[in-house]
Amino acid sequence: MQAATRTTPVPIEAAMNAIANPRRRQILRLVWDAQRSAGEIAAAVDDVSWPAVSQNLRLLKNAGLITERREGTHRYYRANRRALGPLEAVLRHMWTLDLGRLRDLAEQEARSRKKT
Amino acid sequence: MIEDLTGAIEITQRIEASPEIVFAYLTDSRRFVRWMGVGAELDPRPGGRYRIDVDGEHIASGQYQEVDPPRRLVMTWGWEGHPTVPPGSTTVEITLTPDRGATVLKLRHLGLPDESERRQHTEGWTQYMSRLAAAGARD
Repeated sequence: MQAATRTTPVPIEAAMNAIANPRRRQILRLVWDAQRSAGEIAAAVDDVSWPAVSQNLRLLKNAGLITERREGTHRYYRANRRALGPLEAVLRHMWTLDLGRLRDLAEQEARSRKKT
Repeated sequence: MIEDLTGAIEITQRIEASPEIVFAYLTDSRRFVRWMGVGAELDPRPGGRYRIDVDGEHIASGQYQEVDPPRRLVMTWGWEGHPTVPPGSTTVEITLTPDRGATVLKLRHLGLPDESERRQHTEGWTQYMSRLAAAGARD
């Protein structure tokens, strides 16, 4: 079964809004390169409740940033990179996501250096 | 400073870490691959080259133009085999400004192809993105 994919670009504002939240950025990173089940996503962001994860997934889906595929009772998600549209938007997303990851790592290292 | 900001992306990020730590994540390949790509060879000195294996199939590469630790990094940027953004075609400029124990990182990606050129190449780009998506699906 093929999931329907939006091919029209996501309005930048809606997209930027959706990724303004760190938890949603984390989810988007998880499904950026690979399809993941709702359960896998919930396990990877286990410090928030399932309703919160579910709400963030719905928001990302409504913004057109991820697609959902249902298989029986399971739901799978992946980034809808085609809908991310023109080059500039794609690059903006790429840098925003990657730099978000860089920030998390650098801050972790800064914190652990302080402790020692 | 003379500059053309058409076809540019600018992203600002505040990081609660010193510029030295942030700069290490930009230039030390072991730290670098933790936030971008699956493999990286970096030679961070003016004229040095870098190659980043983005996803096991696509390679981003370029040359460092300015390396001024821990403040500024300028390099050319492109994807090998990409129709509109081949290596050498665009520039990525990163500046780090210390701010009360933290760092403000500003990234500018300059020299992106203009809108008309982009439309002309939409098909190629869409194919590229599909290939990227397909590469991800094999994981």
